[in-house]
This record gives sequence, C-alpha cells and structure tokens, in this order.
Amino acid sequence: MTPVPNPKFEWMNQSRQWGVRVKPGKKGLTLGSLNVGIYGEVPTEWNDQTRNPRGAIARRGMPPVGYAIREKAGIWADCAADLYEEAIQRRWAPATDVPWDTIEPLPDDVERAVCQVCTELSQYANVDIETISSWQHQMAYGYHEVKQFLATATFDAGRHYEVFRKRALRNGGGLGLESPGEVNRMILESRGGWTEAVTYLFLLRGTYAMTMLRYLERFAHNDAERFIYGHVIQDRARHMAYALDHLKYSVAHVEDQTTVLATLLFIGDRLFARELRDPVLREALAIIFGGGVEGARTHGMATWEAMMREFMARYEGTCEWLRVRRAPDRIPEEMRRFLPEAD
Amino acid sequence: MSEAVQLDTGHELDLGWMDQHGQWDTKAEQSKYGLTLADIQIGEYGDAPVESDNQTGRPRGAAERPGSYRIGNYAVRTKSEIWLDNASFLYEEALQRQWSSATDIPWHTIEPLPDDIEQAQCTMDTFLTEVEFVAGDVPARWISQTTPDFFEARNVLLCQVMDESRHMDVFRKRALANGGGLMKATGGTAGVVGSIDLSRDFTEMSSRLHISGEGAVLTIFRMGELMAYNDAEKAIYRLCAQDEARHVAFGVMHMRYMAETAPERHEEIHCYLDEAERGILAGSQNPAGQFPTTSESMAILLGGGKKHFDEGRNKLIAIRRRQLSEYIKRVRSAGFGDRFDNGRSQVPEILADIAA
Repeated sequence: MTPVPNPKFEWMNQSRQWGVRVKPGKKGLTLGSLNVGIYGEVPTEWNDQTRNPRGAIARRGMPPVGYAIREKAGIWADCAADLYEEAIQRRWAPATDVPWDTIEPLPDDVERAVCQVCTELSQYANVDIETISSWQHQMAYGYHEVKQFLATATFDAGRHYEVFRKRALRNGGGLGLESPGEVNRMILESRGGWTEAVTYLFLLRGTYAMTMLRYLERFAHNDAERFIYGHVIQDRARHMAYALDHLKYSVAHVEDQTTVLATLLFIGDRLFARELRDPVLREALAIIFGGGVEGARTHGMATWEAMMREFMARYEGTCEWLRVRRAPDRIPEEMRRFLPEAD
Repeated sequence: MSEAVQLDTGHELDLGWMDQHGQWDTKAEQSKYGLTLADIQIGEYGDAPVESDNQTGRPRGAAERPGSYRIGNYAVRTKSEIWLDNASFLYEEALQRQWSSATDIPWHTIEPLPDDIEQAQCTMDTFLTEVEFVAGDVPARWISQTTPDFFEARNVLLCQVMDESRHMDVFRKRALANGGGLMKATGGTAGVVGSIDLSRDFTEMSSRLHISGEGAVLTIFRMGELMAYNDAEKAIYRLCAQDEARHVAFGVMHMRYMAETAPERHEEIHCYLDEAERGILAGSQNPAGQFPTTSESMAILLGGGKKHFDEGRNKLIAIRRRQLSEYIKRVRSAGFGDRFDNGRSQVPEILADIAA
C-alpha cells in the first residue's frame, strides 16, 4: 500500500467565500454570529441531499441521504441559533445541582401525588425525546441552526426524564401509574410534517405542561422540588420559544397554514379533552395544591381549575397571536368551560 | 398566576390510582457524585428486562394501565442489542463535562496563519463539520426506536447527539474565525457512501460509528496538539477528544456486553467488523486515511506548511499506526480479539506494512 501518494493539492483554492474573520462578541463566538456573507444565506428550499455544510462547495455526484424536510417554512425559526447558545450556557445536572438533601418525608397522600405527577412528567419527557429524535435525521443540513437547537432540546428532555424519576425514587415513594397515552400517541403519530409535530408537542402539550409546572413550582414542598420545576420551566421555555417562532414563520410563509393549524387543533383538542376526563393527573395535582386529600376536595381542586383557566387563556392567546381562528363552540366542553369568557 | 376560588362544596375524588404504583418505600441515597442514575437503580427500578414488552412508553417500574395506548413500536427491545454496563456513569460524566464553543474556547488566541496552513485547517474544518453530525443524525434515529426500558443507554446517546452538535458548530466557527472560509465538502457521508446510515441493526451501527469511525477521529483529536497552531485549536481538539472518548467507550462497552450475552451473534459482529476494516484507511471517512483532500490537509498541518509536506506525511503515518493499534486494543477489549490472532483481520498486516 502506498502510504501517502505524492500530493496534488487539488482541493486548494476551492472556497465560495474566503477571507471571513468573525470575531467573538460579548457572548463569545456564537453560532448566529457566523451568519455573514454567503454563510448566512438560508435558502427557502435546500435541494442538496448530502451533508454538505451550508456555504461549502458541494462535491458533485454524491448519492442523496434522503432528507424529508428541505423547505425553510417547514422547520425554520429565526431564534434557533440564539436558543442553541442559551441552552448550552444554562446547562444543569440533576445529580449535583439539585439540593436533594432538602427533601424531607411528606404525608403519604402528598408523596403519592408527587410521585404520580413525576411519573407523568417523566413520560411527557419520553414523548419529547421520541418525537424530536424521530425527526432530527430527516432535516436537511441547510438549516443546521434548527438541527443543533433540537439537539439541545432532546438533551434537555433526557435530563427531565431523569430528574423526575430521581425525585420519585428519592423520598420513600416510587413511580405511579403510567399515563393514558392517547395524547402521547397523537404527538408521536403527527406524520404530516415537523410543523404538525410542533403544533401538538409544543403548542398544545407544551403550553399545558408549562402551566402545570408553574403551579407545581408555586406549591413545591422543598428547595429540591423548587429547583427542579424552575429549571425544567427554563428549559421548556426555550422549546416553546422555538416552537412559537417556527409556527409564526410557517403561518407567514405557507398558504392556508392557519386553517391547517385550526384543523389540527380541532382534532387534537378532542383527544386532549378525553384525557382530561381521566382523574389520575387531575386528582394528583389537586392533592399537591390542596396539601392532602382533604384539601384536594376543596381548594386543591379549585386551584386545579384556576390552573386550567390559565392554561386555556395562554393556549387561546397563542392561537390568536398566530391568527388561528377557533370558534368557541368547536372547542370541547372539557376545555371550553375554562375559557375566560366562560367565567 | 390566577388565584384559586374557594369552593363551597367538596369535589368527589376517585383516588383509585393511589394504590396503583410501582415498588413503594424507595429511598435513593446520594453518593459522592450526587444523586446519580446508578443511585436510583434500586429494587425493581434497577432491573432492565432482557426482553422489553413495554409498548406504551411507560417509565420502567411504573404501574401498567391496561387501557393505555400502544405507542411504541420499538425496534430495539432486546437488552443485548443496546445495553452496556457503564451507561449510567457515561451519562453522568457527559452532563458534568458539557462545554460551550462560544465561551470556553480562547478564540482571541487565533492569529493569522500562512495561507496554505489556513486552507488546510479550513479543509479539515469543512470535513469535520460534514462528518460530525452523522454521529448526531444516526444515533437520534435509533433513540426514537429504543424502548424507554433501556433509558440509561438511550440517555447516553442523547448526550452524544448534543456533543456532535457542538462539534459541528465548533469546527464551523474555527473555519470562519481566521480569514478563511469553508472549502469543498468531501461527500464522504452521502447516501450509501456513508455506510453508517445503512445499518439495520443497532450493534452494526455502533461498530461502524463508535468503534471504527469515531475511534479513528478520537486518535486524531488526541494528537491534535501536533497540528494546533494556537490555544484555541488545542482547546478544541482536547475538548472534542474528551467527548469522543465517551462515545467510543459506549461502543466498546456495548460490544463487550453483546459478546458476553449473545454468543450466537459473534459471527455476525465479526462480519460488521470485516466491513468496517475494509474502509478503515481506504474510505473517505477517516481523515488520516488515503483520501487526498483530508490526508494532504493533515500532512500540511502536521508538517507546518506545504514546504514541509514530507515531514507532515511522516507524522500522518505515525497517526495511522496509532489509529490501528488503538483499534486493535478496542476490539480486543470488546471481546472480539480473536480475529487478530486467527488471521481473519487484515489490520495487523496493514499495521506491519506501515511500520516497515
């Protein structure tokens, strides 16, 4: 074998744009700051099906990898690069950053409720992981900022899966009952495109989860729980920021998209409403909010209803912001009764 | 946050769920590394099943709900297909050792370089930007197909996707930070050319990605001091090597588990290794291999410019030797070393040729 043939240097002097010198700013050398000259040109369609980095010269004759998502409108959000850097800066480790020592024994009914909620939230994180990771490899390289941000999102979800499991197994309890799974299935089966997955995973489930986590943070029993809920909220806020920015972009660039989203939500709401009939999560939350089973029957359930009103206000507010028109009479009763007008 | 309304009458509660749970009275204790995944592998919660029948995405150890939807048509549900004994350790280490390419690299130490060296560096950066996310895309696909009963292994792969994302970004940053730019892509990862994409089995994928592919890149990163021209480049190679070492460790430990628990698959694994070895120097995925674009770039970087190409070539050959030696060690450690003793593998021969 010839170890290294005589060099020809045929690869030299082959660049679409030379002389680029990006300098670090006050936040360091960020991903977004690299978008200068041709390197910042993000095309509306990316037809190169290889892993050619954006701005590099493609090698001709390469067989396609087979990316399904090659249109900017199906994936893009302007904020993705900034969210990517923010996710890295705000990393945390459940093993060492959560003050586990602050957890003290709780009344049995409250511990059972916390463990049930942790089981559900762990399963939510599982759906985040499985949904996003099933789409990642289908996304074209031309939109690498989004691919990279989503890598942080699944990394976050892995941490959420872990931290809720740790909390459930820390304080004399254990895992509770698995979730009904109907909404999980809907999210995982959103095969009509990444935008559809974003609609179900973030706009519907994400808004609900964020509202729930805010209430859980308010009713946390110790600093460990406060830390967990607070940091999961912080992570999920980034996911929501990407999702809403993407949906806004999609609505602005895809004809009839608001109607499509309205139809998706019409279907999604029905499945979501069916799960609301299931008492498990509702009662577990009411026990936490009410400080026990007795309190759950009164102010615990009242707080749960307040939480639902807040969820519906945020959910409907976002739909309005996206210009997705939804007639109240097309929203299932289980959700409609929490609309602000319903008071 | 809205204020709760005090109700006059009490709500009826079902509460039947309160008696449906996994093993109770569990109290995980922290170890000296905090409350790690290893610390919560207690009782029934620590038992990953040999075969997983979990098709609802239920967290391992949670109580089953008979009416729950079957949502997980998981392709990977046999423990030996993905398991490794130190997944918890690798996961926790990955979390502790995350770094930021924006702020942890001393970018200010980069000074203008001679044009031939900058072009060689940018060519390597283009190549690494291109290949690093193969190692992100492909594991992601397998993550979504793996039952959560093996979440420890799955979480390590999630960390790998994150790491590869950062590698993709740090090499792009380097290419655009010093008066250069991206160059011509190799295309070595496209379609069927990038055989990692072809894998239909997790262990097949892991043998190509973790053992041969990332193993070869790890050797280069570890010897990055030899081709770094400033502290920024040294930091990039050092930090990337740290990440790659975890990914390679995943592959070695998984293959070891497979060797110990699935002897019926030994011959099949040897076939995957046969295939990986055929491309170990000849393919375009090993930048120190025979593909001119990357091997010439590396020789320029290692030698200190075109004028010193021969010196660089000698160092490149030394890197190849080390790549092959380390590959042999890894495969032996994984339990498949017999291939080097019974003449099945050509790698010892190639190594002897290079040494001569």
